[in-house]
Amino acid sequence: MALRRVSTPRRILTVDLPMLAILAFTLGPYLWMFLTSVSEESTLFTRGPSLEGASFDNYLRLFRTVGFGSNLMDSLIVSLGTVAVGLSLSVTAAYAFSRFNFRGKRILMLQFLLINMFPLVLLILPLFVLFRVLGLLDTHAALIIANSTVAIPFSIWMMVSYMNGIPRSLDEAAMTDGCTRMQALRRVVLPLCLPGIIATGIYIFITSWNEYLYALTLGGRNVRTITVAVQTLIGEYEVQWGLLTAGGITGALPATILFLLVQKRLISGLTQGAVKG
Amino acid sequence: MTFARIGAASVLALAAGLAHADSTVRFWYHFDNADNPMDALVAEFEAANPGITVEAENVPWNSYYDQLYTAIIGGSAPDAAMVKMFAQPRLVEMGALEPIGDKLAEWDGAAGLQDNLLDLTRAADGNQYYLPVQYVVLYLYYRADMFEELGLEVPQTCEDFRAAAQALTRDTDGDGQTDVWGFGFRGAKGGHDHWASLTLGREGVGLQDGLTSAAGVAGTQFVADLFRTDKVFPPSAPNDGFQEIIGAFKAGKTAMTIHHIGSANGMVEALGDKVAAAPVPECGGGRWTSFGDESTAVLSSAEDKDAAWKWIAFLSSEGNNARFNEATGQLPVVKADSAGWTLHPQRFVEATVDSLPFAHLLPDSAATADFVNTVWPTAMQRVLTGAITAEEMNAEIAALFDD
Amino acid sequence: MTDLSLSRPAPAEAPVPRALARRVLPYAMLSPAVLVTLAIVFLPMVQTAWMSLHDYVLFRPNDFTWVGLKNFRAALADEVFWISLGHTAIWMAVTIPAQLLLGLVTAMLLNQPFPWRGLARALIIIPWALPSVVIALMWVWIYDSNYGIANEFLLRFGLIRQAIPWLADPSTALGAIILTLTWQGFPFFAVMILAGLQSIPKSYYEAASIDGASAWNQFRHITLPGISGVIMTAVLLRLIWVANSFDVIFVMTGGGPGYATYTLPLYAFVKARTNLDFGYGSAIAVLFTLCLMGVVVFYLRRSLKGAE
Repeated sequence: MALRRVSTPRRILTVDLPMLAILAFTLGPYLWMFLTSVSEESTLFTRGPSLEGASFDNYLRLFRTVGFGSNLMDSLIVSLGTVAVGLSLSVTAAYAFSRFNFRGKRILMLQFLLINMFPLVLLILPLFVLFRVLGLLDTHAALIIANSTVAIPFSIWMMVSYMNGIPRSLDEAAMTDGCTRMQALRRVVLPLCLPGIIATGIYIFITSWNEYLYALTLGGRNVRTITVAVQTLIGEYEVQWGLLTAGGITGALPATILFLLVQKRLISGLTQGAVKG
Repeated sequence: MTFARIGAASVLALAAGLAHADSTVRFWYHFDNADNPMDALVAEFEAANPGITVEAENVPWNSYYDQLYTAIIGGSAPDAAMVKMFAQPRLVEMGALEPIGDKLAEWDGAAGLQDNLLDLTRAADGNQYYLPVQYVVLYLYYRADMFEELGLEVPQTCEDFRAAAQALTRDTDGDGQTDVWGFGFRGAKGGHDHWASLTLGREGVGLQDGLTSAAGVAGTQFVADLFRTDKVFPPSAPNDGFQEIIGAFKAGKTAMTIHHIGSANGMVEALGDKVAAAPVPECGGGRWTSFGDESTAVLSSAEDKDAAWKWIAFLSSEGNNARFNEATGQLPVVKADSAGWTLHPQRFVEATVDSLPFAHLLPDSAATADFVNTVWPTAMQRVLTGAITAEEMNAEIAALFDD
Repeated sequence: MTDLSLSRPAPAEAPVPRALARRVLPYAMLSPAVLVTLAIVFLPMVQTAWMSLHDYVLFRPNDFTWVGLKNFRAALADEVFWISLGHTAIWMAVTIPAQLLLGLVTAMLLNQPFPWRGLARALIIIPWALPSVVIALMWVWIYDSNYGIANEFLLRFGLIRQAIPWLADPSTALGAIILTLTWQGFPFFAVMILAGLQSIPKSYYEAASIDGASAWNQFRHITLPGISGVIMTAVLLRLIWVANSFDVIFVMTGGGPGYATYTLPLYAFVKARTNLDFGYGSAIAVLFTLCLMGVVVFYLRRSLKGAE
């Protein structure tokens, strides 16, 4: 279906238009948020958001006085750190699950699922004590470790399902040619499941980017991610709508840009015909 | 990379600690003002008190107390924190607060505080743990222009209030649909103030006794009738929080609501002279309105309690307290600071002062926090949506306070 | 089937010399991930389960008394527990299929060549990339009965006659939140499925085209089997994630009006974080985890069977 040459009008009808409809649903609330962030706050409730008298003051305030820049930096360090830790641990683990049969495999895989089933909020208190004893409170490392534990189980499951899609004969052939296991993993399996790795990486990035409860409890004054910073804009008696929406708009950008950059990679890898070649 | 970072950080911390063996006050607060006005106060304090560093951390309001309890239990509590009365019984029970009675007695600023504030914030065990830093009192906001248009008087009693609300609920653009409602009722968390003003003023009715009496039930029934029979609240009332009630009032969708001076400037900005204020109406023989308190306290785990005390006393001193409240939009607790108060239009300050004689705090009981956070909102919403009766709601609340 | 083949026998192994390495290697590769998760999640989990057997109210830290299964008995007799369980079931049963369906359609579209595909792919993940609290507040505003855009839109097109208080009416509140969560979560499926679609060799479609198979038949016999492994995993993971996510509900309604939008994790959260009753909150959390585990095991059994 992806192959047949489709005429342009037909493509517009079957692809472009439905895509536009989904995008309208996807972006509608986001655009409305943008509109709110540039609207005049004094008339927000009387006349609703409007482009009349629009300004980017909220964005300037966000970075100048609220200090959103350093929050973005913290979020970025934590998220990228989690992606690095989470991916490296889960790729090796997923390879083991996908390529070996060993005692306890089923239990171990289920164990990873079980971990994500328990409501996080009840783990906060024991974790807080643990990290205080380790002296890690209010550090990037604390958040990276905590977020990794949330991300790893899901990542492993996802990676296993992508790796199982790659025929074993390929890495076995590589090993017959003299590669070690690790070389086979690095040279054959990894390149082939790059789309899966990227999808998983995006997943880890977004999960830790949006994580709030750990960031609040284990972070603090020195490490304050954007989710916590955004929360402080919701006051007891006042919601700073302008700043809040500006923060939301800005906060969604890094993941979106990241995805824009890597989305092409999602396609390469397997489609080149390497598998069947 | 991360571990190297931690290593570097701890070396730095160590070096800093060796360089000058001074004390640090970790202070937690929550502000509705996003522009970090605390930084200026901290800088000034540090200049006046060399050797003390204040690390002020703005903790998100909706997680503030969760976070505070977690930190206390987890052994990493701040040295001083902004706190409200409803949390005091729990904090005292946890042994988390440091009595400041002796320090207060020596402090010359104490005499300058508004009358009664220290009495109001004293704990049930007779100790003083809290130092007030700001306050508000709830009163009735109303649309003077709509009242004038319909020839209505400001309601003095619940009956007047009901009649006015009915008259104000109308269809102004002639499409057959109501587009202005008489009263913006807050049915979500925090709305107990509205319910309390219409219920707890009644003779012999209080949260801890008399709630299940005929008068007590009549109060809750009054609220239910306003919504279910008279339909003078917007249909979204069961789920409305403060931003909805304030937003609807600013947008002209409601003609009255109850809130405090903190939203006065925003309302004037949106409505100008069309918004006015008055004390809440008298219901069933008495008036009741909420006193919205905010204090600071030293925690018992603080390393340098003197330094922590110096910092909180600084915030409640003349001049500083005014600046603190300019940032929060509430009212200063220092007499000298409130005398020359010009941040809010006079009519709102008057409504606040006029309401003070019958302003009450919620009971000093461990049950109060649950009442505010879960029991009241859920029960009220169920009454408003018809799931339970007024008697059942009052019985549930009474049972909570009986425990 | 590509996935969930936990029990499939291994193909003929390499001869003896590597046998030992082969046996140790998988464990060596797994241990970092296992150790980290055990220390950071499993231990606190056991601690919490232990708490559920005690009377433990956080603001009475010294009062930690053993009560056996009292908290569990109380939960099973608690009306709110059953209401929350019911909502959790509806919540999962509607949200996941909705997210999956929308995600699948989106992924199929994003896999077609069209000029602005790269941009569309990037834009589609925006809802997923937004912090939950921002999403929740934004949607509260969209649903607002006074100035919300949802009501204005429906009124303007004559679909309703009077503004509906979506979140304040017990009959619409849960549905409104489910729509929000569908919006937030479908990009996850879109991205996962899009990645899965790449593993289907083009030659399959070429062959099918030559045989004259219709687009629908190609979808059913090539695409769907090709991505079913990824879909199964994605559904499984999302099942757990959606069941556990309550932050959007918490901000949008706080569980109200009344108990109309209470789910079990939310109830556990309210009990533990707001009422500070850790004993009871932990008991609810444990019961919830057991229920969820039941669902997951059932799901795994079914999909294994379907896979064979």
